[in-house]
Amino acid sequence: MQVILLAIVTFLFAIDQYSLTEIIYRPICACPIIGAILGDVNTGLVLGGTYELMMIGSMPVGGAQPANVVIGEVVAMVFAVKTGMEVEQALGAAIIFSVFGTYVVTIVFTIASSFNSWCDETCSKGETSGVSKAILTDVVLLGGLFAVIAILAYFAGETIQPAMEALSQKAAWFMSGLGVAGGMMRFVGFGVLLKIMLSNDMWGYFLSGFAMALIVGNIEALSAATLVIVAFIGIGVALSNYFTSVNIKEAAANAGLGDFSDGI
Amino acid sequence: MASKGSELNLQDLQYYTDLTPAPRVDKATLNKMVWRSCNLQICFNYERMQAIGWLWAMLPGLKAVHKNKEDLAMSMAQNLDFINTHPFIVTFVMGLVLSMEQNKMDIQTIRAVRISTAAPLGGIGDALFWFTLIPIIAGMTCGMAMSENMMGPILYFILAFGIEMILRYVLMYWSYNIGLDAVRMMTANAKEFTRAASILGVFIVGALTANYGGGTTTGMVFANGEKPVILQDYLNQILPCLLPLLLTLLMYFLLKKGWTPIKCIVLLLVIGIVAGAFGILGSGYKPFVPVPWATSVEML
Repeated sequence: MQVILLAIVTFLFAIDQYSLTEIIYRPICACPIIGAILGDVNTGLVLGGTYELMMIGSMPVGGAQPANVVIGEVVAMVFAVKTGMEVEQALGAAIIFSVFGTYVVTIVFTIASSFNSWCDETCSKGETSGVSKAILTDVVLLGGLFAVIAILAYFAGETIQPAMEALSQKAAWFMSGLGVAGGMMRFVGFGVLLKIMLSNDMWGYFLSGFAMALIVGNIEALSAATLVIVAFIGIGVALSNYFTSVNIKEAAANAGLGDFSDGI
Repeated sequence: MASKGSELNLQDLQYYTDLTPAPRVDKATLNKMVWRSCNLQICFNYERMQAIGWLWAMLPGLKAVHKNKEDLAMSMAQNLDFINTHPFIVTFVMGLVLSMEQNKMDIQTIRAVRISTAAPLGGIGDALFWFTLIPIIAGMTCGMAMSENMMGPILYFILAFGIEMILRYVLMYWSYNIGLDAVRMMTANAKEFTRAASILGVFIVGALTANYGGGTTTGMVFANGEKPVILQDYLNQILPCLLPLLLTLLMYFLLKKGWTPIKCIVLLLVIGIVAGAFGILGSGYKPFVPVPWATSVEML
């Protein structure tokens, strides 16, 4: 019974970490809930508070993937309640599991890239079935894999820790390759945008944007605000282009009018 | 005027068939979009990031605005482009885009405005929420939780989720209204505006290539006595972010040649895994195939 409830909440937290409220999955909220399931809310409160403080500074920012929180909190809670580990010990022991959580996320985000084509297909007919299919598949995949890890941790606990460490070392090249591939997929997204927006006289703007982001991004004091600063510069360039063309258009119209009246 | 073309490549179309501005979208629809916006990252993926969640959140508004089925299809297709912004302040972009869709502006303009608003907002949202608000709330409530007080998590949830939802509502209505005002100005010189917006869009995609692409690096290090040769350092001397730039251009040319996005994805997947096996890209692991170089200085 416990393990079923644990699998269900893990499923929900796995979804919540990117969607829904994006708050419930945070350790401070999630750990007491897991604690209630495992029969020890107080440990949940203490572990959740400790973990949440640890998390400040390793936030899901700008697409970066810190070791997965959801797996971390579920496994740490199982260890703390079931084996009676100290809070800090349990958090430390959970690290290898949360690394696996990150692997799972990488795999899901990579696989989900292929769901886009389902959406493309039905959307070009004005139907939304592809979108629902993609969302549903993604939810089942992400939540399901996380639930499996939770169940594994519940039954196998510390005994599989050495095996997991060995596996993560052996599979390092593969996971790194997958991670690199995942990181490269955004270039397809950029390529699609360029294919649509870029007319041949606009290469200069593309390169200037690239160069601007490099410059601003490498100045330490500015790097956090890179895209905002670059957007401001871009707005300046675009506006100046806009007003110049409008002025030319108006001037041409006026000139045309002038010629015409002279002719009479 | 109405072209019957479900076979047409929707991405090549620039104008909606029905150009009559739709009436103002009612509150119920806007509220529905606000709630749906919570699931912006529901089908997050590496290729287009939040595209599917974005389209799903926009759907109630798009359906209200485009009564013509062909137009709805075109609109849905263009709302499936790459997008990455902050999940809590995305409604600002949604309101803006909806107001433009409602006025049936050129598809190209809508696309360009969307990408160039979404990207910078991502950074602002992170700074606002993850670096400011959450640390403050956590500082207030973690102590309570650690002394076994149930109010800790409850307060944390109410504050964080409450502020998140208020932001979503306020930004949606605000940007929808300013969008409607702004559209009136934009339409006076529509052609020039579309071009200027595309310039901004292309500029931003260039910036994204450098800003989001930096993770693609080579870790190849050759043993050389005291001074190991770090390949990436040499590449950086030619141009930092050279690999992301080349890969983006490669994808552009392949797509232009008629490759589908899915084919490009498979290609990158193969490149990534082969590069992992030989220790070419990424760093800090032991390659599958024994090679005469290491993937980081520590691994030498």
